[in-house]
Amino acid sequence: MKKTQQIEAIMEVVRIVAGLAIAYLVALLILVAISKDPVFIVRQFILGPFSSPRRIGSIINLAVPFMLCGLSMCFMYAVNKFNLIGESIFMLAGCIITWVGLAIGNSLPMAVMVPLLLVIGAIVGAVLAFIPAIMDRKLNANVVVVSLMLNAVIAQLALYLLRYFMRDPGISFIGSYETPASMQLPMIFGKMRVGSGVIIALIFVVIVSILFYKTSFGWKMRIVGSNPKFATAVGLSTLGISFAAQLAGGALAGVAGATEIMNSYKRFQWTASTGHGFDGLLVAVLAKRNPILVPIGALFLAYVRIGADVVNTSGDIPNEFISVIQGIIILLVAAESFLSGFKNRLIYKSVQAEKESAKGSK
Amino acid sequence: MSIDIVAFLADAIKMATPLVFAALAALMTRQAGMFNMGVEGMILCSALGAVTGAHYLGGVWAGVLCGILTGVVTGLIIAFAHLTGKTDLYLTCIAFNLAATGGTVFIMYLLTGEKSTTSGAFRSYQIPNINIPILKDIPVLGRILSGQSLLTYIAVLSVWFVWFLLKRTRVGLRIRSVGENPKAAESVGISVTKIGYISFLLCGLFAGLSGTFLSMSWVTFFMKNMVNGRGYIGLSAQNMANGSPIGSALVSLLFGATTSLATTMKSQSNFPTEFLEMIPYLATIIAIVITSIYSINKKRRIERGGK
Repeated sequence: MKKTQQIEAIMEVVRIVAGLAIAYLVALLILVAISKDPVFIVRQFILGPFSSPRRIGSIINLAVPFMLCGLSMCFMYAVNKFNLIGESIFMLAGCIITWVGLAIGNSLPMAVMVPLLLVIGAIVGAVLAFIPAIMDRKLNANVVVVSLMLNAVIAQLALYLLRYFMRDPGISFIGSYETPASMQLPMIFGKMRVGSGVIIALIFVVIVSILFYKTSFGWKMRIVGSNPKFATAVGLSTLGISFAAQLAGGALAGVAGATEIMNSYKRFQWTASTGHGFDGLLVAVLAKRNPILVPIGALFLAYVRIGADVVNTSGDIPNEFISVIQGIIILLVAAESFLSGFKNRLIYKSVQAEKESAKGSK
Repeated sequence: MSIDIVAFLADAIKMATPLVFAALAALMTRQAGMFNMGVEGMILCSALGAVTGAHYLGGVWAGVLCGILTGVVTGLIIAFAHLTGKTDLYLTCIAFNLAATGGTVFIMYLLTGEKSTTSGAFRSYQIPNINIPILKDIPVLGRILSGQSLLTYIAVLSVWFVWFLLKRTRVGLRIRSVGENPKAAESVGISVTKIGYISFLLCGLFAGLSGTFLSMSWVTFFMKNMVNGRGYIGLSAQNMANGSPIGSALVSLLFGATTSLATTMKSQSNFPTEFLEMIPYLATIIAIVITSIYSINKKRRIERGGK
């Protein structure tokens, strides 16, 4: 039976890689089909992101929110609740920590300010995630629909706070006053201009991985997600555990929003929902809800995004085509029957071989 | 601040039309046991399909046809991924909606060079409004009920059609039986997959009509993200009405009224627009809370009665 499990595990990786490869090929095909200078554009798309230290740095910077949002969605996805509230938590947490940061000013040192703002972001996230989670637990309301509706409401709330409480009238676009220096994370790695937010993200990857694989809560969560009937049968509180997981996921989305503002922005200037919640879902799907693999998924997504941006600026190809590619990736990785025939044949063969060898030894 | 009640009600009916179609679309798959969030993206694609068809084929009806066709094709894509590819339906729909949001902008850019709207590049076509002979002469009712878009009246007929299909035809019975208990249905020889495809086909038809209404009647062009959650609102409407076509239409009408209220207030007061924008979504959440509490209480009452 061990052999079968091994094949399952290998095929899981093969499936993800094949899915990514197909999606990547589709992306290249689109580029070749619509571009006037296909060779140049494809080169730009593949190699462009690595063409300068600055661009490599921006891949890492872009991967920071993807990692944190991916971790957040790992919690939701682990208990099979597609709670998409992370999308608007990201925006509102960024908004509220900017507000708090502006109020505190430069009076606190960075070593106090950054953790304080992260905690505030986490609290905002947990409070907001509480709404769909409690509706799911007590009212049995559909968590997807409720969270999507709430996203629309919360995005407007953040916009309202921005426009009426912290808008800087001195700049041409809608944005807050400049945040104090004590909440702007310093750059590391010299030329690459990587924000130190990546350290925060990696710390959380470690914390969440430990929570998932070394604590009883993580174990319970995974059982509830993968086999709810078994979980109920052994006396786990399915509702309670999935409720707690959603709150934890919300808190992480809040941390993500806070980190992103401190890492990459000098002002709060998001006037619409940023899409990071959905990107987080993609990362969680790619990582197969395993927090250890989240950085890889996040880096891949960031690489493709930067590639699209390079193509967007150097050719006339809109970077929206990436969202189509993202959709294809999720579908292929999520499709159980994608390559399942191949997997089943492999398993069948190995079992046959085992039988043969068993006969031989007799 | 004075509100013209008659204009408000007429506007509410207009705003409710895409919601009614969205609710019917979601209802078709729900009756077959599938919670299809992809309605949102399907409507968005259809809205673009309709204006594109109308522009290139040069006619209103070609546009309507293309809109419906886009709805059906996108519905079948989701059906293929879910029924044949065995993907998780929630994940499929989220992925599809994501792809639709970006994909429509992408296609629009390829066709017109614009990224936000087709209003400049495409000729605009409008589905005619219909004046109903006798009704239009009745003082107040005439102004509310007559002179609406043709699709609004088709929406009313569609509600009846869906009811008839589900309750009075063989296909409808099969769809409902698959939704009720797929294994039982399979055991008497009904192909669950085939019924699934049929329900997605019908879902696509209504999603297509919803999109067509948005881009050829509500306004006469496509704009980025123009569906703006209407698919989800329609989905919740049919959820609240527990899958009844007539109930779904009535709840949609209520949501149409909240949207209309938001637009009316925006033009008539200097209240922060952000809060007015929230109204339709907040109304949906509140309605979900109320109906959930009601159905939970009802269940409890039944349980207590059973003792």
